[in-house]
Amino acid sequence: MHSPMEQFEIKRLLDFHIGSLDASYTNSALWMTIAVILAFLLFVVGTQKKALIPGRTQAMAELGYEFVAGMLRDNVGEAGKKYFPFVLTLFVFILFCNVLGLVPYSFTPTSHIIVTFAMAAVVFVGVTVIGFARHGAHFLTFFVPSGVPLWLLVILVPIEIISYFVRPFSLSIRLFANMLAGHTMLKVFGGFVVMMGVLGGWAPLAFIVILTGLELLIAFLQAYVFAILTCLYLNDAIHLHH
Amino acid sequence: MRKPVYSMLAAALVAGASRAAMAESGGMPQLNFHDFAPQVVWLVISFVVLYLVMSKLAIPTISDTLERRQGRIQSDLDAAEKASEETRALVAAYEKRLADAREQARRLHREQAEADSAAASARLTELGNALNARIDEAEKRIAGQRAQVVEGLEDMAHDIAAEVYSKVSGQPADGTALRAKVAAAHSGKNGGGR
Repeated sequence: MHSPMEQFEIKRLLDFHIGSLDASYTNSALWMTIAVILAFLLFVVGTQKKALIPGRTQAMAELGYEFVAGMLRDNVGEAGKKYFPFVLTLFVFILFCNVLGLVPYSFTPTSHIIVTFAMAAVVFVGVTVIGFARHGAHFLTFFVPSGVPLWLLVILVPIEIISYFVRPFSLSIRLFANMLAGHTMLKVFGGFVVMMGVLGGWAPLAFIVILTGLELLIAFLQAYVFAILTCLYLNDAIHLHH
Repeated sequence: MRKPVYSMLAAALVAGASRAAMAESGGMPQLNFHDFAPQVVWLVISFVVLYLVMSKLAIPTISDTLERRQGRIQSDLDAAEKASEETRALVAAYEKRLADAREQARRLHREQAEADSAAASARLTELGNALNARIDEAEKRIAGQRAQVVEGLEDMAHDIAAEVYSKVSGQPADGTALRAKVAAAHSGKNGGGR
């Protein structure tokens, strides 16, 4: 019986190093590449016709485009337009990695904490840089809630700072844990199907069907959550709302 | 004999330990630090490639398409608004012409009716006059014929009286005396009868 964790093993398909840096092409890299190629096919090849009345592929690409554009417009406003390519890339990349991970025998790059953390760290650093670039030292007032008595600030300011620095962790762990848990569950119940045989295996099999539907929803939802939280952090950095 | 047994035992122990170690580390492939670098390297590469694809190819194309569509929809809406404006003007013009035509028709009808009734009454009086003339003429004629008939009746009465007298008396009647008697009887009857 395979361990349910085996699906998360990193396998080196092509070994190579740049100096001391291990840059081997792994199964994770393969599925990232597939995600990028599929995104290219959908968003570039699928929209080349520029039809006034879009076909299915073009409508899908436009739907994704307008979905993220609307998200950014609603949460950040006009100032967020500059960051639209980044947020769209983030959303599409995570969505494609998540959904492709549901294909049997595939690999889910977003089920690895290092991948999600790298993306969350880019968002965190980027947002912090944008905050300081826009407001200078004034950005620090973001940690000071307004209209609060002084003695309460002594408690609240450290909490605000901690909650700010927790962001990359919560952002990355949320996505990683969702992917990990979902895929592990699928694998565990897959094991049950085998274990319970032809007679008893139907119940866990039926459950897997339902679970796969749920996982599809979660795959989309987590991409959405990652993107919308990025929007909210951007909004904080740009407008200093509190 | 003992050596192979020991070595086999050692091998089994090593195998068991390594399996346990694999299970330990295999429990969470995500925490295998050796795999971090290749993942991050290829994450950066694929993310940057996707970013370039999106920002340089996909977004300009899609936003261009969406703008063109929006422009087309707006121009269509404007055209529809203009057409509806024109229709409204046409309808107003049509209704004005219709009202004018109706007014004119009413006037013509009234004039015609007046002219008709004047002509009709003129003809009616003319006809009435002609009829009256004919009635007068007919009455005159009737009166003349009546006088003749009455005269004829008197002659016939004299003849019958003379005939009756001659048959009864057996001698010819004296015409003049008889005529006077008939006239007296006739006038007496006439005075009482009518």
